Amino acid sequence: MSEIHGAVGSYVANALDPDERREFEKHLAVCPTCSREVAEFSETAAELSSLVQAPPPPMLRSAVLSSIQQVRPLPPLPEDGPEAEPRRAAGMARTEPDGSSAPVDELALRRQRRTARVLSLAVAAAMVVALAMGGWVVNLVQQRQTQAAEAALETQLLSAPDAKVYASKMPDGTPVSFVVSKSMSKAMFVGADMPDPGGDQLYKLWMVPPGAGAQPVGDNTFSGGGSRKVWMQSGIADAAGLAVSVEKDANTPQPTTTPVVVPI
Amino acid sequence: MNMNISAGFGSGDTPRAGHRTTQLPSQTGQPPPSRGRDAEAEHLIDLITRASRGHEDAFAELYDLTSARIYGLIVRVLRSAEHSAEVTQEVYVEIWRQSARYDSSKGSVLAWMTTMAHRRAVDRVRSVTSETARDEKYALRTVDRDVDQVWDGVEQTLDVERVRKGMGSLTAIQREALTLAYFGGYTQSQVAQLLKLPLGTVKTRIRDGLIGLRDALGVEA
Repeated sequence: MSEIHGAVGSYVANALDPDERREFEKHLAVCPTCSREVAEFSETAAELSSLVQAPPPPMLRSAVLSSIQQVRPLPPLPEDGPEAEPRRAAGMARTEPDGSSAPVDELALRRQRRTARVLSLAVAAAMVVALAMGGWVVNLVQQRQTQAAEAALETQLLSAPDAKVYASKMPDGTPVSFVVSKSMSKAMFVGADMPDPGGDQLYKLWMVPPGAGAQPVGDNTFSGGGSRKVWMQSGIADAAGLAVSVEKDANTPQPTTTPVVVPI
Repeated sequence: MNMNISAGFGSGDTPRAGHRTTQLPSQTGQPPPSRGRDAEAEHLIDLITRASRGHEDAFAELYDLTSARIYGLIVRVLRSAEHSAEVTQEVYVEIWRQSARYDSSKGSVLAWMTTMAHRRAVDRVRSVTSETARDEKYALRTVDRDVDQVWDGVEQTLDVERVRKGMGSLTAIQREALTLAYFGGYTQSQVAQLLKLPLGTVKTRIRDGLIGLRDALGVEA
């Protein structure tokens, strides 16, 4: 038994550090014995969960069922694909084919929000849900009331081949994101739990053309106090950046406070 | 859990017959696996398959049948109700999203789901831990109690009893290494530090623990 083979138990128990894991997965791809053992141990480990059963909070059920309404199940993997990822084959569905990480969670977001980051489309759907929820207690009513047409458009945006999510944060730390498809020339602003900016102020969205100042875009003002999704439906194809700022005057032609800008 | 029964499930467009024809091929020298467990496993495959076609009611039932295990596991690893609810929700949304990619020839639905949940919980533990270094002394002090808590105070169902017996068949060190790694969310290197054992030994104990448990449970992959 090679030494690497001995790590199979730790692999299933998720007890490898990232380097060890990568090394083991390389081995796993070419070792049928280990693949088999991973499959068997995964069944064994699943049985361990019977020892620690605990009823989840009742709210969680409705939160889960509400959030899946906005997520489209992925199509099956192509059959007999020789590239079928070994990890998924072993029941370890987690990373996406492009190797990006699984949907970013709130904590990760908080860590990363200093710099706007591009995330792959693969994580977009789950992220929009996570963002719109701002935690696990969803604004259920709001989610249910999402217009069907809007939901369809949202799906369209998220399935655009060039769709990207740019995450950033407001000066007060509130995480915000822009989901952008240049091919559709559309973008959606997503803010989890946007606080009321106070004093009759509003949030206003902007488009930044290349080499020019910010311009208002679309139906572009909204108030705080909850999760917000706002469409930006024109001129996105040519934009160099998108921005959001806090404004007193909804009709101001330029931002009067420092906007949060994400280059796109 | 005999996966052969369900391997051909892919064509499950036809409505289920009133009773199931899950005749097991006779297995010489082995007691037949319990019918109830097989039927349960098969039912979960049915639910995930329907969920993959967008049936939210099937997914709701899947949630009802599995959430105590999934949430329980996540709580056990994370020890934070707030984080656990959040991670559990993420896991179920991911299960819904990936539902068409579940392949019954590769293992049970429960193993597939548990793997995802455990991985997510451990990722969260490590991302939190990297910011607020975990108190290893606390961990050490509570190792024994942890193991006991896993043993005692759990619901006395047949299933639980089986697994408890399986864990009981391991050596103390195998059990401890496996418990710290799987329920504690520690890396094998951390387990080695906690138990003051060489890494190679810990690695072997974790694997041996799983082998022992697998054999005791008679799990078929």
